[in-house]
Amino acid sequence: MSDREPRVVGFLCNWCSYAGADLAGTSRMQYPPNIRIIRVPCSGRVDPLLVIKAFERGADGVLVSGCHPGDCHYTQGNYYARRRLAILRDLLEFLGIERDRFRIEWVSAAEGQRFAQIVADFVKKLKELGPRR
Amino acid sequence: MARIGVFICHCGHNIAGVIDVGRVVEAAKRMPGVAYAGDYIYCCSDPGQAFIRQAIKENRLTRVVVGACSPRMHEKTFQEVLASAGLNPFLLEMANLREHCSWVHSEAKEEATEKAIDLIRMAVAKASRAEPLFAKPIPITKRALVVGGGIAGIQAALDIANAGFEVVLVEREPTIGGKMAKFDKTFPTLDCASCILTPRMVEVAKHPNIRLMTYAEVEEVKGYAGNFEVRIRQKARKVDHSKCTGCGTCWQKCPTKVPSEFDLGLGKRTAIYIPFPQAVPPKPVIDTVNCRYMAYLEFVRSGREGKPPPQCRICEKLCPTGAINWDEEDAIITERFGAIVVATGYDLFDPSQIPQYGYGRLDNVITSLEFERILNASGPTGGRILLKDGREPKRVAIVHCVGSRDLNYNEYCSKVCCMYSMKYAHLIKERIPDAEVYEFYIDVRSAGKGFEEFYNRVLDEGVRFVRGKVAEIFKGKDGLSVRFEDTLTGGRHVLSVDMVILACGLVPQRDAGEVARIFKLSRSPDGFFLEKHPKLDPVNTHADGVFLAGACIGPCDIPDAVARGSAAAAKAIGLLSRDEILSEPMTAIVDISKCSGCMLCEEICPFDAIEPQVVRGKRVARVKEELCKGCGSCAAACRSGAINLRGFTHQQLLAEVEAL
Amino acid sequence: MIEEIRAKAADLLRSGEVKCFIGYERASDGLTARPFFAYSADEADRLIFDGTCVHNLARYLPDMRGKRVGILAKPCDSRSINVLIREGQVEREEVYIVGVVCDGVYRTTWGKPSRELQPRCLYCSKRTPVVYDYLVGQPPPAPESQHPASISEVEALERKPAAERWEFWRSHFARCIRCNACRQICPACYCPQCFSDQLDPLWTGIRIGLPQNWVWNVGRALHLAGRCIDCEECQRACPMGIPLAILNRKLASRVKELFGFEAGMDPRAPFPFATFEKEEEIL
Repeated sequence: MSDREPRVVGFLCNWCSYAGADLAGTSRMQYPPNIRIIRVPCSGRVDPLLVIKAFERGADGVLVSGCHPGDCHYTQGNYYARRRLAILRDLLEFLGIERDRFRIEWVSAAEGQRFAQIVADFVKKLKELGPRR
Repeated sequence: MARIGVFICHCGHNIAGVIDVGRVVEAAKRMPGVAYAGDYIYCCSDPGQAFIRQAIKENRLTRVVVGACSPRMHEKTFQEVLASAGLNPFLLEMANLREHCSWVHSEAKEEATEKAIDLIRMAVAKASRAEPLFAKPIPITKRALVVGGGIAGIQAALDIANAGFEVVLVEREPTIGGKMAKFDKTFPTLDCASCILTPRMVEVAKHPNIRLMTYAEVEEVKGYAGNFEVRIRQKARKVDHSKCTGCGTCWQKCPTKVPSEFDLGLGKRTAIYIPFPQAVPPKPVIDTVNCRYMAYLEFVRSGREGKPPPQCRICEKLCPTGAINWDEEDAIITERFGAIVVATGYDLFDPSQIPQYGYGRLDNVITSLEFERILNASGPTGGRILLKDGREPKRVAIVHCVGSRDLNYNEYCSKVCCMYSMKYAHLIKERIPDAEVYEFYIDVRSAGKGFEEFYNRVLDEGVRFVRGKVAEIFKGKDGLSVRFEDTLTGGRHVLSVDMVILACGLVPQRDAGEVARIFKLSRSPDGFFLEKHPKLDPVNTHADGVFLAGACIGPCDIPDAVARGSAAAAKAIGLLSRDEILSEPMTAIVDISKCSGCMLCEEICPFDAIEPQVVRGKRVARVKEELCKGCGSCAAACRSGAINLRGFTHQQLLAEVEAL
Repeated sequence: MIEEIRAKAADLLRSGEVKCFIGYERASDGLTARPFFAYSADEADRLIFDGTCVHNLARYLPDMRGKRVGILAKPCDSRSINVLIREGQVEREEVYIVGVVCDGVYRTTWGKPSRELQPRCLYCSKRTPVVYDYLVGQPPPAPESQHPASISEVEALERKPAAERWEFWRSHFARCIRCNACRQICPACYCPQCFSDQLDPLWTGIRIGLPQNWVWNVGRALHLAGRCIDCEECQRACPMGIPLAILNRKLASRVKELFGFEAGMDPRAPFPFATFEKEEEIL
């Protein structure tokens, strides 16, 4: 079933990245419909277990996106997220989930275009990787 | 079991033009817990809202999912619909079918419809785990603290006090007045600074709603918007201000003379002193470091050998009211406030960091603030422009952008230096008509009411403007020599002058970092305090209830400082006018049966909102709900899942993941 | 060495300084060791210490809170004690730590003694405990000698393609019977209710199958990041022979590379996931 469309789960912080994704919409930018977005207050809210569960439930890729470092609405949440998710990505890679399947991106509320581009790139990459085992 | 209602909005053609709404509704009807699914052309319109309200009542719905635009757009609208239908507003979940689906997949209608069904399924799953949330009303302490008694703080204090609220104004120096009190004239109107400032200072002192605490510093701020608990250190003055009448006998007779901070070391003051004649309060403090009797007491206390210094005590002997109190110690005062205005001002850039300018090494190379004192009638020279040897200067160079617009020091423009430099040129010309004045500038920035006109005026007065940076100032054979490049004519020159005034930039107060820590403020890369939004929220901060005024936000002139003071006051008044504020309903919550008491959450919390407590002999975490802002960093870190975030619970987020 | 340990333990118990001394005694196979709790000076004579003393006794400390206890600690165990102190599970003043200099312990299971060092002891450079009140044995001269380390299992796995790594762990986790032995023996697992035992939210799932086992083992490994001190007790306890220590060692080495942090070395060092540097290139 190698022609199955990749499934992407995106955890987006409410203040920057979710708003950035909204802006992509308002600006009518087109990106692949493979992503399902889950709104969280802050990237710091993303419990690594949620990412693990997303992969367990068959996601081909997971995106966590928050405010740029220094711009966190809660001042520090994305700094904690960065450390937690960095180690999670290393662990997943060690377990045989390719590094490219787990993306961590900082997207501001003004970066609608960047958000669309990130999703497009991500889906393209996941297609190259093929479906997860 | 929840009875979930799903409402799909067409948003005219915005959603329905791409997504097959009928299919989404049919799919929603088959989702677990869904008791009703329907669609409407504009859910946010009044009839749309009525439609939802009616469906909630008819179908006895307990949870609502609206598939429409972004929750950032209309979550509030639909929450109010729930509330008006008797449901807790937090039982609403929105699926973003427009910004995140139809608008971005308008060329892939089939996939967009499938995605919309998924988004609805996720929202239904999350809604089924939603719980009612409540914002708690917290009463407000209707008093304000203003920190810093410069013109911005004075203005803020007066505005808040005039609105009928009690204000405590804390100033660390023995007098209010700040930097403006040191100025001679103000640009471009050439008003005498103290003539316009001192009435305001007196107004502060006399205002029934203002309590002035000079010679005091804020040490600690606890609490949250509406209810801060602030610890203030009142430094020992050794003078009982309730007895002192400010007659001045003590400071006229005190034999100890030390350099005056107010005059930047150019003049002298006594050990018991008021910083300047119009000081408010007009009552002295004793400088315990330099006072002879304090030195005597210190000697006796230390038990050192030898002859003790003489016991002076002249002030005590002469004081007609017996106000001198040698036993006075620092006092710690804790007070509660609802709002805080931080107006701690700026420092002048220290030009000794630029060694080639010779400041501190060469006579008659002075800073702008020193020149203000020289110009001032109550200053060290009585307002006469004099060189160190007492002669009048005949050639004066004014160097712009000292420490500003320079990547080696500060990249930013300090905004006021061009104008005050031209003010100096004018005043020199006024007092020494035959003097030659040179302005060395990069660009003349004269944006402001009457500023460009003032620039033209000093040009007419014969002030010489040289476009170019000064490379070096050195001792010439007759006075000072200024080496510079004229970038308009392209030549390198040396000019002999008698005096050089360095137009130093404005930098953050040297202890801005410490102040930021106390008030939980952030700082921008330039070191000034960071406003909540540079355009739309220029005096708010990320610390709710703490507002900024004056040059602590960044360089500004007096009218800006006053405007910022009034703006901060308006924000504070807005807060204090309310009887209560509502707490954040989406806060962290601890299940103490699962908590191991490792306190990782306490370490992580950016708002100090978590503390340990002991329950039945066991240490567990406790959330101070009034401080929690709901970021959820704690919930994501807790290994045992003992701490959860209301509104974005583990159960809700997991339900969304599992709905995929 | 053993006489000194027994004498010290007896002293502590006799003087009432501690109510209980946690050490090792000979197991019923007469060959290996097992944890032993001495409650009187007389019982101290049963204490032993040699290369068969593999257990991480710090595991028992959180259950002893409120009591003064003595404990025999190898260097690795002492790091566990530090972790527990840092996380508020052990009060430093309630524990009397008899540290013991260690040359490594053996690969050994009940009835099957061996003279072969445990692999983790090959990578371990600590021969003196990092925290103790009393030290038994001569600390080796500084710098502490290091056993020769060959290419690690972590590196060997890292060099394989992702598909093989996935297959490696899939095959192991598929065999997991979720007996929880790894968790029960782990000194860092003290949660009142483990995430995997919770029904709401149901993180792991009840069925014993690959997806559920995967979430359990991955979730547990992640919870040990920055906290595991590589005592390898989980792997020793695992009845299915799942190489859990590789997973833990991988995370520990990444935490050290990224954040310069080693669990249990310094109880005052900030926990790497509760702090940050504003500028750090870690992604």
